[in-house]
Amino acid sequence: MNPSIMKIVIPLLLIVGALLFAVKSLQDNAVVIPTRTVPEQLTTLDPPLIVPNFELLDLEGKPQTLTAYKGQPLIVNFWATWCPPCRAELPSMNRGWAKIKDEGIAMIAINVGESEDTVFAFTGEYPIDFKVLLDEQGTVSAQWPMRGLPTTFVLNKKGDVVYQAIGGREWDADELLDQVRQLK
Amino acid sequence: MLSLFYKGNLILMSLLVVLLCYPLLGLADVSSKIEQGARHWTMTADNLELKIVQMMPEQAHAFYLARGFKTEVARDIGASCMMQTVVTNKAAKTSGKAFSISLKKWQLKVQGNAKLQGIKLKETWDRHWKTDDISAAARIAFRWATFPSEQTFEPHGDYNWGMISFGLTSGSRFDLNVVWHQEGHQKSIWIRNMQCQTDNMDTKQ
Repeated sequence: MNPSIMKIVIPLLLIVGALLFAVKSLQDNAVVIPTRTVPEQLTTLDPPLIVPNFELLDLEGKPQTLTAYKGQPLIVNFWATWCPPCRAELPSMNRGWAKIKDEGIAMIAINVGESEDTVFAFTGEYPIDFKVLLDEQGTVSAQWPMRGLPTTFVLNKKGDVVYQAIGGREWDADELLDQVRQLK
Repeated sequence: MLSLFYKGNLILMSLLVVLLCYPLLGLADVSSKIEQGARHWTMTADNLELKIVQMMPEQAHAFYLARGFKTEVARDIGASCMMQTVVTNKAAKTSGKAFSISLKKWQLKVQGNAKLQGIKLKETWDRHWKTDDISAAARIAFRWATFPSEQTFEPHGDYNWGMISFGLTSGSRFDLNVVWHQEGHQKSIWIRNMQCQTDNMDTKQ
């Protein structure tokens, strides 16, 4: 190659390479989120999902149906006592519930596959202030599009599932709760 | 000075190729460390973060025993090289991209054996148990405590965790080919020199 051309091309390529390297590094840094700081957003389901009605017992042994919650936004959390991320998420759900309980928004936690005794004992150590329902046979959770625990769904006033969150969230974050409030 | 510069232009050009290609490669980063006697592997690539943590056979056995499995079945599971796995989409809010994972595409290469093999999926375990007496509660716990065979992770903080059964004997060493899909492209990376935990914690693995 002509040395005079090389004299221009090589430094130029070095500069371009260094710039691209720097841009890539900045991009990488931009998507790295500290473990504790989870984005407080819900995934929109478009079109909304239709889920069948259910009747499950709460911890007081009273039957609860899904249709009874129609007319208000509803947060439905699926969890289990042996699931570490579920346990990590529950305190923030309690704090979130304290914020929204007087705003016409409902929240329920459906325990998957455990007995009333197990769940009752658990709530002695991890107080849950909102309604806990028991899906002991796993029949309801099998009808929802779940992939793991915890998974939380948000239903609009019609009872259609419009948001989902796979994995835990910080449920007391207003950025997240505002998405639910907008359904009112 | 300049002549030296030009004589070495082959090296410089090689360096330039690396520099220019680096932004296009989306290179993955794999690291490992030992915490509380268990080795942790962390892989990051684009917005995917994968963490795999060794479990002792007795640890997995105890977990499933407490979920209602019979001792012999829980022991089988525990002896199949279970590891705790966490996958997170680290992309921030709406700027990120979803990715999908199918464990059916992951492959293992056991050291000293050139043959590739798949991991033992939850569906395989479930089929195996059809003739056994597994309670409903135990099946439900296994379903949700085991990493799903297929899942899409949206860029809004989606994550999932669960155990993966590598179907190997305690102490086996292997390389794992992690495969995922993003924007229609299949991507993969090898995590080298993984090892199934034994019941004797060894901090010098």
